[in-house]
Amino acid sequence: MKIVATVKLVPDPNSEKRIDPQTKRLDRSGAETVLNPYDEYAVEAALQLKEKLGDGTTVTVFSMAPERHKEILRKALAMGADDAVVLSDPALAGSDVWSTAAAIAAGLKKIGFDLVVCGGLSDDGSTGGTPGALAEHLGVPGLTNARHLECDGQRLTAQRETDSGYQVVATALPALVSVTMAVGEPRYASLKGIMGAKKKTLATLCLADLGSDVPAGDDGALTELVRVGPPATREKAAVVNATDGASGARAIFDFLKQRKLV
Amino acid sequence: MQHVIVFAEHANGTTRKVTFELATQARKLADELGGKAHAVVLGAGAGALAERLQAYPLDVIHVAQDDDVDNFLIDPAIDYLEAAANGIGPSVILLPNTMYGRDIAGRIAARLRAGMLADVVDIAVDGTSVRGTSPKLGGAAITTCALRDARYGVVTVRPNAFAAEPGGAAAQVVQLAKPTGKSYKMSIESNVEEASGELGLEEAPVVVAGGRGLGGPEPFQTLLKPLADALGGAVGASRAAADAGWVPYSLQIGQTGKTVSPSLYVAVGISGAIQHKVGMRSSGTIVAINKDGGAPITEFSDLVVVGDAFAIVPELTNLVRAAKA
Repeated sequence: MKIVATVKLVPDPNSEKRIDPQTKRLDRSGAETVLNPYDEYAVEAALQLKEKLGDGTTVTVFSMAPERHKEILRKALAMGADDAVVLSDPALAGSDVWSTAAAIAAGLKKIGFDLVVCGGLSDDGSTGGTPGALAEHLGVPGLTNARHLECDGQRLTAQRETDSGYQVVATALPALVSVTMAVGEPRYASLKGIMGAKKKTLATLCLADLGSDVPAGDDGALTELVRVGPPATREKAAVVNATDGASGARAIFDFLKQRKLV
Repeated sequence: MQHVIVFAEHANGTTRKVTFELATQARKLADELGGKAHAVVLGAGAGALAERLQAYPLDVIHVAQDDDVDNFLIDPAIDYLEAAANGIGPSVILLPNTMYGRDIAGRIAARLRAGMLADVVDIAVDGTSVRGTSPKLGGAAITTCALRDARYGVVTVRPNAFAAEPGGAAAQVVQLAKPTGKSYKMSIESNVEEASGELGLEEAPVVVAGGRGLGGPEPFQTLLKPLADALGGAVGASRAAADAGWVPYSLQIGQTGKTVSPSLYVAVGISGAIQHKVGMRSSGTIVAINKDGGAPITEFSDLVVVGDAFAIVPELTNLVRAAKA
C-alpha cells in the first residue's frame, strides 16, 4: 500500500512575524522555512499506519515548494518516510487554493497513491480548504479532521472530530484523509533516522512532467491579493497588582464595566 | 457573481449562531450585487431550521431533509449545494469558518471552479468585484483579496465578525430535488458526543481560557466554568493544558487549535507564547490574570492583573453575577 503525506513549507510559526509598514511585505528576518506544523501530524499519522500495516507499505512525502527549500523535506525522511517528491516550478508562484489543489492533484496522480494524508490547515495561509479541494480534484473520498486511523489496506476507518465530539467514519480506498493533532505528537528523528535520510531519494517534478493542462500558479488562480498590511495595534495594557482576590476582581469588573462588557 | 448563498451549519437541531451572521451579511451583499439572498439547509430537521431562519432577511431558503446527508460524510451535502448553486446561477457562497464549514468550502470551491477567500472578517463589493479581508500568518498580516471574475466564489467567514440582525419579510422556502445518479462511500457509522450542550468556542462572545498556571483539570470546571457561565461565554485552554490532558483538544486555542475573536477574552494562568497568541490576538478586549507580571501575554493585553487567579476569579464571578441579578 502506498501512503503519500502532503506537506507545505511555511515561515517558522514560532518566530515573531511582522509586516514591514514601509514595504508592506513580510519581514522574514529570522524566520526560517520549516515543515507546516499541522503537516507534521500528517507525516506522523502516515508512519503510524505504515507500522501497523508492516512490510509492503511505503510512505512518500509530497510537497509543492521552491526547489531551494527541498532539503527541508529531509526532516520528514528522518522521521521515517521512505522517499520524498517535491513539485517545483517557477510557474507555480502566485497559486491560490484552486491552482494549488489542481497542481498537487496532478502530481499525486503522477506518482500514484492508495491513501493521501494531509494536515488540516497551513500555518501561513490557513484557508483550510486544500484537503477538500484536493479530494475533489482527485475524485476520491475526503475524510477530514481524523484521528485514530485504522486501515487494512482496503478500507480506512477513523474517528472524525466534530465540535462536540467525534463520528466514526469508514471509507474504501483510494481516499484522502486530513488529520488533527490528536493523532499523536510527531516523532523526533533518531540519529539513525537522520543519517539514513541523507541516502533516501528526494525527487523533483516540474509542471512539464505532469502532463496536466490545468492553468498553474497565478494564471490558474481565481483570487488575487489586493492589499496587505499590519494588524491594528493595541494600546499598552493597564497593569494592576492585586494584593488580594477582592481587589483584583474589582479592578477587572470596573474595567469591563467601563468597556460595557458587563 | 450576482446572488449570495448561505450554507447553514447546524447540529442537534440547532442552527449555529454564525449562520444568522452570514444571513445578515448575505442580504447586504446581495443588495450591492443586485441579486437575491439564498440559504441552503440540509439534513435532519432542515424544515424546522428553515422556519427559524425565516426571521432573517433572506429571499429564498432551499431545504432538503435527506438521510443521506446525515449518514454519509460531506459528499451528499456537496451534491445538494452544487445543485442549488446551479439552479440559482452566478453567486457568492458564504460558509462559516468552522471545522465543517472549511470542509464544505474547499470541496464546493473545487467542484464549481470557484475562487476561495478564507477566514474573512470583512467583506465588500468594489464595482462588481467581491473582496474579503482576513488575518493571515497568525494575525501578523491583514490581507485583502478579491475573487476574480468567475461564475462562483466561495467565502468562509470568521464567527463573531458580523452582527446577526433579524428582519425582512419571511423568505420563501423551497424543496431541493435529490441529485440523481450519485453513490456515496464515506459512511458515518456512529456519532459520539463528548461535550454536548457547550457553546461553540469559536462563536462564543466571551472566552475564559486557562493554562499551565491552573495546575490541573479541576479548576477548568470549578474556577473558569462558573465565570464563563456568568459572562455568557465558553471555556478555552492553552496548548499546555490540552497536552497535559486537563481538557480535550477541542478546547485548545492557538496554533494547531482554534482561532477565536470574542468581544472579551480572559486569559487565566496563560503565559502567552506565540503559539497561543495567534489564536486569540484579534479578540476585542483581552484581560490577563497571571502571577507573573512579565509574562509575554502582558504585551498584548488591555488589562493585566498580577495576582492569584484562585482568589480573584471566584470574586469576579460573584461581581458579574450580582451585576446581572
